[in-house]
Amino acid sequence: MDLKPANPNERRQYYREEWNVKNIPDFILKSLIQREFGFDHMGRGPNDRYRVFQNTDFLRKFMRYRAPFAAYSSVAFYHKPRRRDGWIKAELVFDVDAKDIPIRSCGCDNVCEICLNQAKDIVHGLVDTLKGDLGLSDIHMVYSGRGYHIRVLDDQVTGVDSDVRSQIVKYLVGSDVPRSEYSLAGMKYNLEHFTIPFGYPQVFTDRVKQAILALDPSMEMDGVNQKLIRDAIKYKDFLETDDWGIFRSKIGPIRYVKLIKGIASLNLTLVDAKVSIDLKRILRLPSSLHSGVSMKCTEIKNLETFEPFEDAVPKFVYERKD
Amino acid sequence: MVSISFLNPLSPEGKDIVRELGSFEGISQDIPELRSIVTHNPSQEIADDDEIPSNYLELALKRMEWYIKKKNDREFNGRRYAFLSDSAITKYDVISFYLLCQAIGVKFGPNSRETRVMVESQGDLVRERLGKLHVDEGRMMVEQSLQLLLADDTVHWTFFEELLSSRKIRLTDLILDQGELILDQEDFLQRFGPRIKHRNPESMYQLLIGDELKELIMVKLIMQETEDYIKQVHEKARIMVEPNPILLQLAEDVAEVLSEPMQHYGYGYGSGGGGGGPMKIGPLNPLAFPPCVKKAMEGIKSGGRNDAIVLFMTPFISYARLYPDVFRMNITKRVSDQDPNLESVENEILPLIYEAAQNCVPPLFDDQPQEKVNINAKLGFGMHSSLKMEHEGETTWYTPMSCEKIKLHLPHLCHPDDVCKKIGNPLSYYNRMIWEVRRQEKESSDDGQSDDGQGKSNNDNENSTEGNLKEDSKSVNDNQSADDKKGEA
Ligand code: SF4
Ligand SMILES: [Zn+2]
Repeated sequence: MDLKPANPNERRQYYREEWNVKNIPDFILKSLIQREFGFDHMGRGPNDRYRVFQNTDFLRKFMRYRAPFAAYSSVAFYHKPRRRDGWIKAELVFDVDAKDIPIRSCGCDNVCEICLNQAKDIVHGLVDTLKGDLGLSDIHMVYSGRGYHIRVLDDQVTGVDSDVRSQIVKYLVGSDVPRSEYSLAGMKYNLEHFTIPFGYPQVFTDRVKQAILALDPSMEMDGVNQKLIRDAIKYKDFLETDDWGIFRSKIGPIRYVKLIKGIASLNLTLVDAKVSIDLKRILRLPSSLHSGVSMKCTEIKNLETFEPFEDAVPKFVYERKD
Repeated sequence: MVSISFLNPLSPEGKDIVRELGSFEGISQDIPELRSIVTHNPSQEIADDDEIPSNYLELALKRMEWYIKKKNDREFNGRRYAFLSDSAITKYDVISFYLLCQAIGVKFGPNSRETRVMVESQGDLVRERLGKLHVDEGRMMVEQSLQLLLADDTVHWTFFEELLSSRKIRLTDLILDQGELILDQEDFLQRFGPRIKHRNPESMYQLLIGDELKELIMVKLIMQETEDYIKQVHEKARIMVEPNPILLQLAEDVAEVLSEPMQHYGYGYGSGGGGGGPMKIGPLNPLAFPPCVKKAMEGIKSGGRNDAIVLFMTPFISYARLYPDVFRMNITKRVSDQDPNLESVENEILPLIYEAAQNCVPPLFDDQPQEKVNINAKLGFGMHSSLKMEHEGETTWYTPMSCEKIKLHLPHLCHPDDVCKKIGNPLSYYNRMIWEVRRQEKESSDDGQSDDGQGKSNNDNENSTEGNLKEDSKSVNDNQSADDKKGEA
C-alpha cells in the first residue's frame, strides 16, 4: 500500500460519506466546549486556531463543509478555550511516531507495516507501565496516521506540570540507567537491573531488550562503536530467553555499561518528549483524515487486533484508479 | 529519646515547642542553658567565646553559617559546630528554625536564594543529625517521621508531585507498583517476593529500599515542608501591616552570612601570575553587575519578559559565572567544560535566573512555564525540561548580548553609568568591576599591598584588550543571530 496524499475531492468524499461525528471518542466529545480546535486547510500547518464548538452539531457542519486537510483539538481543557486562557488541566500524552523510532529495523523512508508494528510494540510496553507501575487506568490509544498517541485522562496526572511530565516520560521510556551499586551497613553490593523483576529496573530491562532485539548493524549510537553493536546483535538470542547474565558476560561488563548507556539515551526518543511536556498542545483529532498519508486517525479499542492497513484506510483509497 | 522535632521542626512536637514560647518577647535574651549545652559537648571545639551561640538568633545564624562554611570553606572544621547535632539543643533549635523561616519568608520570599539555602541547609542538617544517631535509633526516627509525613500506609506516587516537579527526587529512584510507592518490607515481600528468583527477597528489600530510600524521602519531604512553610509566611506577610523588626534584622544578618563566601573565597581569589592567563572563575558577585542586569534582577514589570530573561539574563549570568573571558579567549565552549557536574548551573546560575523570572510581573513561569525549556536551550542543552548531559550540544550556549543590542531590543533595561562608557558588553562591565570591587574590599581590609599590584596589572590587561574585545563580541554575537533564525524556522 502506498501512502499518497488525499486530494481535495477525496477529502470532501471522506467527510461527506464516511466520517461521522459520533466517531470522535467520548473523552473528547464530553469536554468539547472546553477544548481549543485547530485546523489545517491548505496542508501548510494548523494556522486556523482558537476554534471552539459549542456542540457536536457545529463541529459536524464545520467538518462537512470545510473538509479540512487536517483537524486537531487541544489536549488542554480551558475555561476560555477561544483565548487559550483559564487553563484547567491537560491530558498526559505520548506520541510514538513510527518514522522517529530510534532503532528501526525496516529502513523505510516513511512508515511501513514493519515500523508501524514496532511502534505498536512500544505502545504496548508504555501502556503496561502506565497501568502496572503508575497505576493509571483512564488510558486511550489512538492511531495517528503515522504512529500512535497514548492519551491519559486520570485525574491524578492531568494537573501535573511539565517537569513532572518529563519525569514520567523518562520512567516510561527507560532513559535513566538504574544504579547497579548499592550499599548496606558499609558493604557494597552489585545488583544489575535485570536481576530486579519489578519497578523501574524492570521497565528499563524491558526497553533495553526491545531495543537490542531490533538492533541493526548500520545503527549509530553515542559512545557505542560498530563492533559493540555487532556483538550485541551476535548474542541477542540470549535475551530472547532472558539469559541476561550470559549476554552481559559475552559482551563484557565495561562494554555492557557502554551499551546500555547508549540505549538509554536513544530511548528518550521513543516518544516525542516535546509533545508530552507541552501543556497546551493540539493533537490530531481522532476520526479525522490524515490527508498526508490518506489514513484515518482512529481510536483503538483493542491494540492486539488493530491493523492500521485494514482498520484505518478510508474507502476512497480502494477506489483509486492507479 | 530524641524528639522528632529535632529532625522536623514542623512536626506536631515542634509546633508545641513554638506554642509554649508564645511570643517574640525576650527572643534576643541570653539563654545560659544553651551556652552551657554547647560548652559541655565533648566533641565541641571552641576557639573563641564569640563562637558560642547565646540566644535563639545567634543559634539561627550558626545554622546558616555551618552550611555555608561547609560548602565553601576548604578549611571547614565540623567540630566547631558539633552542638548542632546535639539533641539537647532541640527546643532552642526548633525556635531558631522558625525564626529563620519567618525572617526569610518576610524579607526575601519563597523564590530567593536565601530560601534555597535555608531549605538545603535543613536537608543537610537532618542528614548530619541522623548520621550521628545510633543506627537503631535513627531507623526508628525515620520510621516515625515518615508516618507523620505520609499520613497513610499506601501513598500514590503523585503525592510527591512537588518533589518531582522541583527535581528533588527522581521518579526512577522510587519503587512503584500499581501506582503506589513501596516502602514497607512486608508490603514489598508480598508484592514482589514470588517474582524474585535466585535471590533472597529480604536482602533485596534492604538494598533497594531499606534505610536509604526511606531516609531520602523523609529528608526531601522535610525540605519541601520547609519551603512550603516559608511560602506561607511570605503570603501572610504581604497582608500584614508591619513585620517584626527582629525578623528583619535577622534576615539582614542571614543575607550577610550568605554573602560571606563571595567576599572571602570569591572571584579571582588567589589568581596567580601576571595578567596573561585566563581569568579565574568564581562565585558571582552581584555588587559588580552592570545597571542593566541589576535592573533585570528586580524583575521586568513592563512587557518583554521573555527576551529579558531568556536571551539577556541567561547568557549573562551563565557566562559571568562560568566563562567570563569568553570574548577575550574567543574559543567556543560548552557549559560542562566549565562546570562538569553542572553544580554551579543547578545551584547558582538557574536559581538566579529563576529569581529574576519570578520577580517579573506577572512572574514569568506562572503563565509561561515552557520558558524553562528555552532557558535550558540557551545554555546549550536542547529543548528539554531538565538539564541532561546527553542533550548538551543540541543547541548552542548563547553568548551575552552586546550593549548595542540591548539598547535596541530591551531599551528600558539600559541606564548607563560611568563605567558603561568604556565597555561594549555587560560582561566586560562585570569583569572590570569585579576587580574594582575586590580592590575596594582589599583596601578596606588594609593588608593588600602585594595583591593590590596584581589586581592593577589585571586591570591594565583588560584595557589593552578592549579593542579586541568589542570585535570578538561582535563576531560571536553574529553567530548567535544566525542561530536565532535557525531556531525559529
Ligand atoms: S551600557 Fe551596556 S552595560 Fe551599561 S547599562 Fe547599558 S546595556 Fe548595561
Ligand atoms: Zn518502516
